[in-house]
Amino acid sequence: MNLISVSINHRTAPLELREALHLNNEEIKEFLRELKGSLFNEGFILSTCNRTEISGIPIDPKTNFKDIQKFLIDRKPISSLAQENFQNFFSCGAVNHIFKIAGGIDSQLVGDNQILGQVKEAFQLSEDSDFAGYFLRRIFDSTIRVGKRAKTETEISDGAITISYAAVQLIDKIFSYLNKKSALVIGTGETGELAAKHLKDKGIQNLAVTNRTIENAEKLADDIQAKIIPFQFFREYLKDYDIIISATSSNDLILSYDDVKSAMKLRNNSAMILMDIAVPRDIDPRVKTIENIFYHDIDSLKIIVDQNLEKRQSEIPRVNQIVQEELVKFFTWYNSLEVTPTIVSLRQFFEDIRTEEIEKIKNKINKDEIEKVEMLTKKIVNKLLHQPTVELKKLSENGTNTQESALVIHAIRSIFGLNNHKDNKK
Amino acid sequence: MYTTVKIINVILPFLYFLTFSVYLFDFIKGGKQLANSKRIFLFVTLLIHIFYLLSWTIEFDHPPITNVFEIFSVLAFSLSCAYFLLELFTDIRGTGLFIIILSFLFQLISSIFIPDSPEVKEVLRNRLLGLHVISALLGYSGITISAVYGLLYWMLYKEIKLNKFGLIFKRLPSLEILEDLSYYSAVIGFILLTIAIIIGIIWLPSAFPNFTYFDPKLVGTGLIWIIYGAGIISRLLGKLPGKKVIVFSIIGFIIAISSTIFTNFLAKSFHSFY
Repeated sequence: MNLISVSINHRTAPLELREALHLNNEEIKEFLRELKGSLFNEGFILSTCNRTEISGIPIDPKTNFKDIQKFLIDRKPISSLAQENFQNFFSCGAVNHIFKIAGGIDSQLVGDNQILGQVKEAFQLSEDSDFAGYFLRRIFDSTIRVGKRAKTETEISDGAITISYAAVQLIDKIFSYLNKKSALVIGTGETGELAAKHLKDKGIQNLAVTNRTIENAEKLADDIQAKIIPFQFFREYLKDYDIIISATSSNDLILSYDDVKSAMKLRNNSAMILMDIAVPRDIDPRVKTIENIFYHDIDSLKIIVDQNLEKRQSEIPRVNQIVQEELVKFFTWYNSLEVTPTIVSLRQFFEDIRTEEIEKIKNKINKDEIEKVEMLTKKIVNKLLHQPTVELKKLSENGTNTQESALVIHAIRSIFGLNNHKDNKK
Repeated sequence: MYTTVKIINVILPFLYFLTFSVYLFDFIKGGKQLANSKRIFLFVTLLIHIFYLLSWTIEFDHPPITNVFEIFSVLAFSLSCAYFLLELFTDIRGTGLFIIILSFLFQLISSIFIPDSPEVKEVLRNRLLGLHVISALLGYSGITISAVYGLLYWMLYKEIKLNKFGLIFKRLPSLEILEDLSYYSAVIGFILLTIAIIIGIIWLPSAFPNFTYFDPKLVGTGLIWIIYGAGIISRLLGKLPGKKVIVFSIIGFIIAISSTIFTNFLAKSFHSFY
């Protein structure tokens, strides 16, 4: 199989370069159109903020990695882009590479939850551009299966690996009926915004935001259908919220021990979560001593993130095992494509010789004798071909050892002239 | 039938231990391999146990509620059975080992010490006694389960407060669910205990000539009933938030156990048969 792949990813290129090479869907469609006529029979492009990959089956067998790299450089001229920013894969290595991407073990954040969706989208763009053929569709199916198996059979994508999501995971361990809970997000910067969106996704209905710059609060509130509380008054509303996430850039504490203590008194000591994900901290850490207050800062959330990352790392061998199993399945299928026609051609070759020779003596012997000769010659041909057929079938079952099967098939086809057999007959 | 009863009596503690081990293994390992199959272990154990209880009743011509070791076996069954139903209806699967271990201990003690052919007092052959004891046992199972969930709540509460995100944090359901499980188990226990008390009040004066309302066992049970009743009403009125309801459940259980031990084994009571 001559699948060829070039990749620019977190191992080969810095973030600025990866960002500069990122292709949007329109660009991908345009690139696919150009690749279709010039370099590949079938192919696909995967481009995320962390990687850009171009893969395909070349029209000309002499096409090499440099041709594909040049294709990309010509269309995305970036001065800092160099040869060492590319990783190249071929044949089995290229299939292995895309399987690992879908399994989430080739991502910068191991077990990345988004990558499988991005791979699917890349395949869909190829299909839409009429650029996915028989082989690639099979690769797509196997790749998606790897991704799904990795998610369901291992814990590669389990647990939060960002601070804001770890905060939500922790909230999940305290409250269960989040649709009945209320939450206030203080600060609408990047972290606050992410936390507010996670809370919304978790089903919190009564969500409010507050920010020193009211315009920023309004923008986020519009996005996630949240209430706005004026920053100067938010302490008065503390008692109304079960979950408070603070992520401001303030240099001083914005919530004191007494603020929280009096809010707790007003809410009858009902449990309250305070997540301080600001640096420096926004909330007086002494509040953790108040009963039914669950106070956590960045350090404690980082413990969860680190544990989850460690767990994901430990799942990599299990995902690799899935990748190996799917590689074997894929190449068993691929080898059988080569082997089966060879067996058919070989049998046809012998059958043609047999019938030709019988034709020659048909008029010299009687009907009974012809039947006997027919039977005898068929038996001889079958016995002669039994062992080669068995050996060829074994090749297709051996999985990824394509080198050996290619050599044997090539030898058989050359010795018996199977490639030209039909033409000779004509 | 006698041989069957004796064989199952020996097998039951092993079955509970095996089921406990499967739940423990699943708790430690996590993942999805044993998520469903562990439930089958518990179901089979319960089936065999119920067969044992029925066989016992037929073989000895009375339900196994006439002495403390017979009662321990019924208690072992009712605890695991209650948990099984809870797991089935709520799909909360991470807490089984903490209940099944209790069933194992009760069954182990029962299997070792249960008398071969117990002498049964005539008063204990009364039909109302069956209802009285069964509802009391289920009531106590309810408050035991409530205390176990209370304890789990307390452990998880500590882990979260102290930023220790270990196995307890990973495997247990949320604090809110544990609080609910503890509270509703206590409510069910309280209702069943109330039924046991009502049957007792109807039946005891006619069954025992020396009956007195000031009997230590009756006073103890009344005290437990008042404590749980007060706790449940306070919670309904919103006066026992979060950890306080759990503390209440655990203290209630400790008082219930202390009272049971005291009135059954230490105090002189008309209500003591063992």
